[in-house]
Amino acid sequence: MTVTGLIGSLCMFPLRLIISACVRLRIHPNILTFVGVLINVAAAWALGLGKFVTAGVIMIIANIFDFIDGKVAVELNEVSAFGGFWDSVIDRFSDISLFIGLIFLYSTLDRTDYVMIAALAMMFAIMTSYTRARAESLIKKCKVGFMERPERIVLFMIGAFTNRMAAVLWVILILSIFTVADRIIYTYRELRETREREALA
Amino acid sequence: MRQLADLPLRVLWNAFFWTYERATWQYDIMVIAILAFIWLTPPVWLNDPMATGYGPIGWIVDRLGL
Repeated sequence: MTVTGLIGSLCMFPLRLIISACVRLRIHPNILTFVGVLINVAAAWALGLGKFVTAGVIMIIANIFDFIDGKVAVELNEVSAFGGFWDSVIDRFSDISLFIGLIFLYSTLDRTDYVMIAALAMMFAIMTSYTRARAESLIKKCKVGFMERPERIVLFMIGAFTNRMAAVLWVILILSIFTVADRIIYTYRELRETREREALA
Repeated sequence: MRQLADLPLRVLWNAFFWTYERATWQYDIMVIAILAFIWLTPPVWLNDPMATGYGPIGWIVDRLGL
C-alpha cells in the first residue's frame, strides 16, 4: 500500500461513521452539498481576514460535507442527474470563494503580485474543471492532469495550517496550467484518433 | 546510455503531463515533491506576505553562514 493510499484509508474510517449517521437521519445529499458551500464561504471569510488556522478548521468541516454527499446519495438510493449537476456547480462556487478570500486578503495587504497569482490560480482551477467537462462531452473520458479539486483542497488546508499559502498558490497555479494543457492535448489526440479511425473504416 | 540521459526529461514530462491514478507510488513521489517545495522553500524567496521566518532551508543556510 502507498502512503497516500494509507492516509486515504485512515481518513475513510471517521467519514464512514458520518456517512452512516447522515443515512440514518435521511439527510438529502443536495442539502449536504449546499451546506458544504455555505461553510466554505465561512472559510473564505476567515482566509480574507488572514485567520489561516480558523480557515483550515472550517475547510475541513466544509469538505466533509463535500465528500460525503455523493456517498450518502448512493446509500439512500438518491443518485440523480440533477444531483451530479448540482454538486459540480456548487463545487465551483466553493472553489471560487476560497480564492476570492485570498484575493481580498492580499489586496488589503497591498500585494498586487499575490492578488494576480491568486487570480490566475483561480482562473486555471476553474479551467481545469471546464476542460474536463467540455472534453467529456466530446470524448469518453478526460481524466488526465494532477491538479484536480481534491488536491487543491488538501493543498489549501496545508497552506492554511502551516502558514505557507504563497507556496501553495504557486503549486496550484503551475500544476493547474499543466493540467489544463494536458487535457487540451489529450482531447485533441483522442479526437484526431477517432477521426482517423472513421476515415479508415 | 541515451535512455539514461533522457531519464530526467522523461520524469519531468510524466510529472507535468500526468496520467497516473491516486494512491500509486508515482502519486506518492509527486506529493512528497510538492510538500518539500511548500515546507522547505524559505518564504522570503517567494515574498510570502503572510508567512514569517526562513523555513528549514533558510535556517540551514543561516547556520552555515552562507
